[in-house]
Formats: sequence, C-alpha cells, structure tokens
Amino acid sequence: MTSRVGLRLLGILLIALAAIQMAFHPVEFVGRLPNFVAPALRMNLGLDLQGGSMLVLEGQDTPTVKATPDAVEAAMRVIERRIDQLGVVEPTIQRQGTNRIIVELPGIDDPDRAIRLIGKTALLEFVDTGTQPMPKGARWSADDKTVTLPGPPPQPQGQPAAPRTISFTKKVILTGADLESAQANINQGGAPGELYVVGFKFRGKAAKTFEDYTAANVGKFLTIVLDSEVITSPVIRDRITGGSGQISGGFESIEEARDLAVLLRGGALPIPVEIVEQRTVGPQLGRDSIEASLRASWVAVIAVILFMLLYFGLFGLLADLALGLYLVVLLALLSALGATLTLPGIAGLVLSIGMAVDANVIIFERIKDELRAGKNLRAAIGAGWNRAMTAILDSNVTTLLAGAVLFLLGSGPIRGFAVTLSIGVAVSMFSAIMVTRAFVDAAAAAGLGPQLARLAGRNGR
Amino acid sequence: MTPRLWDVIGARKWGYALSVLLIVPGVIALIMNAAGGRGALNWGIDFTGGDLLQLKLERPFTVGQIRAVVDQYATGESVIQKAEQEVFIRTRPLKTQARSDLLAALRRDLGTVRVLREETVGPKIGRELRNIAILAVVIGLALQVLYISYRFKSIRYALTADAALVHDLLVVTGIFALTRMEVNSTFVAVLLTVVGYSINDTIVVYDRIRENLALRTREPFDRLVNRSLLETLARSLTTGLSAIFAIAAVYVFGGVTIRDFAFGLMAGIVTGSYSSIFNASALLVDWHLRSERRAGRSQQGNASPPAAAEPQEPALGSASPSPRGASPSARRRRSRRR
Repeated sequence: MTSRVGLRLLGILLIALAAIQMAFHPVEFVGRLPNFVAPALRMNLGLDLQGGSMLVLEGQDTPTVKATPDAVEAAMRVIERRIDQLGVVEPTIQRQGTNRIIVELPGIDDPDRAIRLIGKTALLEFVDTGTQPMPKGARWSADDKTVTLPGPPPQPQGQPAAPRTISFTKKVILTGADLESAQANINQGGAPGELYVVGFKFRGKAAKTFEDYTAANVGKFLTIVLDSEVITSPVIRDRITGGSGQISGGFESIEEARDLAVLLRGGALPIPVEIVEQRTVGPQLGRDSIEASLRASWVAVIAVILFMLLYFGLFGLLADLALGLYLVVLLALLSALGATLTLPGIAGLVLSIGMAVDANVIIFERIKDELRAGKNLRAAIGAGWNRAMTAILDSNVTTLLAGAVLFLLGSGPIRGFAVTLSIGVAVSMFSAIMVTRAFVDAAAAAGLGPQLARLAGRNGR
Repeated sequence: MTPRLWDVIGARKWGYALSVLLIVPGVIALIMNAAGGRGALNWGIDFTGGDLLQLKLERPFTVGQIRAVVDQYATGESVIQKAEQEVFIRTRPLKTQARSDLLAALRRDLGTVRVLREETVGPKIGRELRNIAILAVVIGLALQVLYISYRFKSIRYALTADAALVHDLLVVTGIFALTRMEVNSTFVAVLLTVVGYSINDTIVVYDRIRENLALRTREPFDRLVNRSLLETLARSLTTGLSAIFAIAAVYVFGGVTIRDFAFGLMAGIVTGSYSSIFNASALLVDWHLRSERRAGRSQQGNASPPAAAEPQEPALGSASPSPRGASPSARRRRSRRR
C-alpha cells in the first residue's frame, strides 16, 4: 500500500514537472545541455490583451462577379500581400463561412490606415477617354456606361451645383494587373499637388500595348481610374516607350502615394469587400487588462486557498496542493493546445479556480458524513470518493455541455472563455479524483490519520 | 446530525415567494424599459450594430461635454457612460472619416484623448450575433435536458432543473434590465456560465436524492428530498462561496472592462446556488405530490409509481402534503443503512 502511494506521488510529481516545463519553459535545451532561463508563461494573447485590430470583411457580389469561395480565397491572397506591406508581426487571415474573411492584426497603431488599405478594391484602370479630359473625382456607374461628374465647388451664395451625369462608356486599355511594379516617388520641383507621384512599370507585353497606344493617341487624354473613380486625366504628349510612367493624382502626402503603390503592388481584389465588423484595442488597454487580470487572479487564488485551509484544515491544505497542480496543468494544456488567452478567458480561468475546489468539497463533505456515521478513516475516505463520483461526473458534464455550445457558436473572446472554462472543468475533475486522493492517502499512510479525522468533528454541524 | 428544524422543503412556499420577489422587479424593468422606448435591455453594439469608443481623458470632464461633441458627428441616439477618467461612447455606425473627425473634435475641446478601444459592428453582423446568442442558450439548455433525462431516467429532474435555470436567467437578465448594464456577447457568456453553474449545483443535490432513493427507505418523498438537501447544503455553500470569492476578486481588481462581466457572474452564482436549494428540489417535490394526489384519487391507494424515479411506492399513501419531520421509524431505518 505504502509503495503504491509512493508510486502515485511520483507520477504526480512527474506530471507537475512536465506541466511546469510546458507552461513556463524554465529549461531550454541547447543541443543536449539544459539551460536554465527565467520562467515565463508562453501563451498566445488575444487581441484584447496585446492590443491590435480584428476586421471582418464580407465579399460582395457584383453584376459580373459573384463572391464565390474561390473569389474570396483569391481576395485573401491579395489582402495577405497588402498586410505584408504594413509590417504587421504575425497577422492571421482566415475565411469564415463562404464569403467572409477575418483579419487579425496584432499590435498595429493606426487601424484606420489598415482599414483603408485592406478594404479597397484597388482596381486600377487606364481608360481611353479620347478628347475628353475627366475631372478628378468623376465616377463611373456600375455598368460602366455613364459618368457622374463632381459639381463645381459650392459658391459662397446660391445653390451648390448638382452633380452632372453624362453618358460615356468606359474603354479600358490596361489595368493594374498589367503592372510589374509600382512605388511612391517625390517629384522634385513638381507643382503643388504634383509633388508626390506613384511611378509604375508595365510588364513586357503590356509595355508594348502601352507604347503602341500612346504613339497612336498623342494629344488625347489617358484617364487613370481607381475603383471607378478618376484619379487623374493627363494628356498624352508623346509616345511612351519602356512601359514606365507616373501618376500624379494630387496626393497630399508621401504616405498617400505610398499607400496607392502598396495597393497596386498587391493587386486588385477580385471582388469588392465591405468591412462588416472591426474591433481595435489600443496597446494601453491591453497592458492594463493584463495587469488587472493578473492581480485579480492572484487575489482569487489566495482567497480560495485560505478559504479551503480554514474550512477543511489538513484536507484543505491537501486540496490546495492539488489546486496548485491544477493551475500548472491547466496552463500547460492551454499552452500546448496553442489556445489564445483573452480577457473573458482569464475570467473563465479565475472562475474555474473557484469551481475547481467543488469536486474536493463534494468529496470532503462526503467523508465527513461517513466519519460521522462511524466508519473508520480509511473506509470513510474510500466511500467518500466512490460515492462522490456520480455527482462530480454528472455536474461537470452538464457544465461541459454549456462550454461546448459556447465554443461551437461563439467567436473570438467568447470562444477563449469557453476553452479555458471547459479545460478547467476537465482538469479539475482529474485533480480531485486522482491528485487529491493520492495526497490524502499519502497523509493517511504517513500517520496523519488523527489530524484528518478531525475534519468531521471540528466543522460538524 | 442534520437538524430537523431546517425544513427547507416545508418552507418552500417562502422560497417561491422570494423567487417571485427577485424576478418581478426585473420583469417590470424589462417592460417599463420597452414601453419607455429605450429597449427592454441596454443592447450593446454587438447586437444592434454601431460604433463603440472607449477613451481615456486626462483632464476632468462631464458626460454633457462629451455628448455635445458626439452629437455633432453621430446620427441617432448615442449612449455615453463615464467610469472614472474613461468614457464609453456608443453610436450608430460611423463612417471611418466621421470617427476620426469626432476624435479630432474631442481632442480639440477636451485635451489629450487616448483611444483604448474602438469597435464597429455592421447591423447585419449584429443580427447574426443576436441569433447565435439565442441559439446558444437554447441549444445549451436542450442538451442539458437530454443529458439529465438520460442520467436520472426521468424528465422530471430535467424539467425542474431547467425551471430553476430559467429562474436564474430571469434574475440575471432582470438585473441587467434594472441597472441598464450593457448586454453584449459577453452577457451571453455570463448566461451560459450561470447555466453551467446552476445546473452543476442542482445536479449535486439531485444526485444525492437519486442515491437516497436507491436505498429504498420508506421515507416520504418530501422528507427524503429535504434530507438530501441538508446533506449537500454544506457543499453548496462552500462551493458557492469559493466561486464568489474568486469572481469577486475579478470584479474588484479586474479593471473597468471586465467589471460588468464579473458582476453578472456573481449575481448568477448567488441565484444559481439559491435556486438549486429553494426552487429545483422544491418543484420536484411539488410535482411528485401532485401526481401522487392524482394517482391516489383515481386508484385509491393501490397506486403504481407515477414515474420510474420514485421507487418508494409503498410509502405513497403516507406522503400526504402535511407531514412535518420524518417518522421515528423512518429515521431508524435511515441510520441502519450506515
């Protein structure tokens, strides 16, 4: 019996060590040599804790293209290229359902810029408008047949002029897909509004098309259109060879020109997307939340430990030991599963600390009953565990059912909460059934029987 | 031993009365809110769609100052809440441009403004999240009914446990209606956790009832339930207290962002513990006594058990609604099993 108790304690010790290693990585192996490093919790933090933005984009049907899963996949690749240009560390892009894309951008400081960059279709078109220059801001209709011209600037007095719509079919010569490269430049000595430009270069075949077209249309207007809106409409002065050119669209800053270059390099989205959900947490709030929840966790752990100790005496101490192990194993599992810790997730964790003692409490109260009924300690401990099993099992399975539903239907932080709560419940069952039992048996074997037996007397009703 | 004074089941009418007392104000608040055109609950942008800004200001400010600025940029009704130096602004969906203009205006009028959080939820997503939330609660409840019916071989246990659950959900929802705390997707997490906790609590009591029934003592059903309740009472209180200690720490130290969530959980744990003692088991007894009376009336004593869960069939006749305390013989039989 004693040796079996020793074996169980040894097993628990091994589990504890493995869990500590998994959760905190205090030992790193360089080659074969163990290297001790400062233990730190390795855990993915949700955007609500580390700060950052989450965007949900929805692909929109157009008259010509439907937002099929294929089109959405293609859009995701474009968005990925654009995000790479933003310099975000570890962005994630995933599809949700048939036509949604979830983008997570940890740690970005200017979400509005990201939104502008990611949400733009960025379809660049070089349009032949013949002898007709188009004012900046003119818009083609969805069927490409009519153009809405912006009204002249509002006069100090009188009605603002209504926008005019004219019939003008869009004749596209080349598109952004024909570009080989694009970058922002500063046009030294350029007129105001033409200081910042985007230089571009066409691919081989498109460069030839461009050259032929410009040669044949000297003196006419080549209008450059982005997402159906005119950026600029320069006159063709001469044949343009080599496929290079530049867009001076009245950019107000180098950033604006740079953003357009980023969009052109990444390519156009095959379908337009709409931002249907956007959540951003500033880095400050993230830090505050981590700090606050850490403090809350400590207080909770200490409160529960003291409570158990005062209420159950030696049994409580053993349960506290098991609780410590419970926490380490829980963190290890979350870390190993790559779970993402969110703010509600931490709250779930803390709540699970409070509830983790439940199984212990059920068992200890059971042992009290058995002791009062006159059983000896060993029999009472055995009966306590056996009788408590069904209650522990049934009560926890029902909680797990709620957790599973939250996990399947929830998203983001709620899902994080479901994960920590469910794993917490499962580990707490293991902890009470296996670990506390081993500790209690060990205490009994070590001759602490009388101290244990006091359980029934001291707090007996 | 368990004092016979504590006749929880005998006093169950008081328990029901207190429950009604807890639920009615919340329900009235729900109705009044709805009638007042404010929405029965203070729906957050998760469910309505819209914009949320959580800002931190350095200079002292009033809600009125903020509102004056917000109303220039946001259409429709905006909700503005102040918590120390932080302010929560909820508006109808704003264009990206309007949002940055609003921030610029706030900075101009009120000094340094730090953006702690900003969220935009499209109205379509809002509807979806709301449907999912309702679905989650319904499916969660349904799964639990199925599981309990299976484990306890009787739908009575499942339905009375669920009645206690609905009670808890009503109490928590009522508190959110009364205080007008924001109802968002974390509220759904609160509800489902409360569901999980409350059912957990109820099951522990039911498990003891199941176990005591299996011993086939001739104790009347209501006495047996009362005894089971008292036997598990210490555990119910200990676990409830322990969970409340833990979540109270989150409430006090966890920061403004998580405070409503922690508060909802605390309220849920309190009512969850209460309802499993005073509602679930009490309803079980009432249901039993009713079907017993009906069986007694139709078959005059030679009754068969109304459901598989009540094996103490010979005791049926003696379990009139009145007995106070178990008969001496019942108590002797009980001690014999030990």
